[in-house]
Amino acid sequence: MTRIWKNFLNGLWDENPTFRILIGLCPTLAVTTSAINGFSMGLATTFVILCSSVLISILRSVIPSKVRIPAYIILIATFVTIVDLSMNAYLPDLHKSLGLFLPLIVVNCLVLGRAEAFASKNPVVASAADGLGMGLGFTWALTVLGAIRELFAAGSVFGFQLLGEGVTTIGIFALPPGAFITLGILIAIMNMIGVRLKNRAS
Amino acid sequence: MVVVLAVIGMVSAGVLSVVYQTTSAIIEENAARALESSVLEVLPGTSTVNIIRASRDELGEDDQRTAKEREQTTTLIYQGVDEQGRPVGYAFVGEGNGYGGVVRVLVGVAEASDEILNIKILEHTETPGLGSRIENDDFRQQFAGKSTQDPIAIGSDIDNISGATISARAVAEAVREGFQDAYAAYRGGQ
Repeated sequence: MTRIWKNFLNGLWDENPTFRILIGLCPTLAVTTSAINGFSMGLATTFVILCSSVLISILRSVIPSKVRIPAYIILIATFVTIVDLSMNAYLPDLHKSLGLFLPLIVVNCLVLGRAEAFASKNPVVASAADGLGMGLGFTWALTVLGAIRELFAAGSVFGFQLLGEGVTTIGIFALPPGAFITLGILIAIMNMIGVRLKNRAS
Repeated sequence: MVVVLAVIGMVSAGVLSVVYQTTSAIIEENAARALESSVLEVLPGTSTVNIIRASRDELGEDDQRTAKEREQTTTLIYQGVDEQGRPVGYAFVGEGNGYGGVVRVLVGVAEASDEILNIKILEHTETPGLGSRIENDDFRQQFAGKSTQDPIAIGSDIDNISGATISARAVAEAVREGFQDAYAAYRGGQ
């Protein structure tokens, strides 16, 4: 049980995809213009990683290693299309704001990366824990990034106005450079906390 | 090896066709409802929306081109009708080239005066915070009251948005050119 718990926590902190391994950065930088965009992109990706990890783990002995990459991509693409279609049907506004980046989850190297590095070598429950942890790690990272950018660019978080009318907002935070600046500062803070924790432990 | 891949592909295709069939009706309905509510916004007082197809050139149904080519030279006009069945006005979609891509604008025109009532930006990929200000009320309201006789151009009768000249110009272009086509199609067709 503890090992599975460890697999799950791995993605949330130690190997957080956004702040530690720095993979899947394209959607990270592009969609996090607001907290809700980051959050929903994270959840959509979590669903895809979780489902594809479980399925790939089940099929790991059936899929021949020579064709494993195309097989994984077909499975991942299937789940992404399911997310894309159902979001378009049931959450059209959110679908509109995530736009092109939803179908691009297929080529998010985070998803294929977990399939290749973890799910293809581990049993189902561990793979599910790993997929869920990675997905939620991705989600919280994108939500924090989106919240900070939305706060500086629009004065609100999750659509709730936090800064008064008179406060001048900084438009660059809604643009790609703002995404890089925010991500850089967040990684620095994560590293600082990491070093502190290590020092305290030793 | 091939068999496994083929089976995976077939199962995926099967699952997706089921998902597509259940969602496609809802997606189409959403799109139609979104457009209808947009038409209601630019034509206040409308209760039902009629779609009028007006061909931009005079060739009849027997011309040799494919349906898709015909579609491209067809102007879609949405006529708003109030509860008593009287036409409120007509609305059309204009397109202009902005800074980040095509800007699509829905324009509502009053039946009685042929003057613009309101415009709504349907779709744009302009820079957030700069070009996206074309969605602001102050900018959009400048178009109200314009007719086909007005220049509808940035710098003459429409004020620019500082830092977003190209985006503002795209909206003016979309309204101006779409208006000419729609006016000709709507009035000419009667």
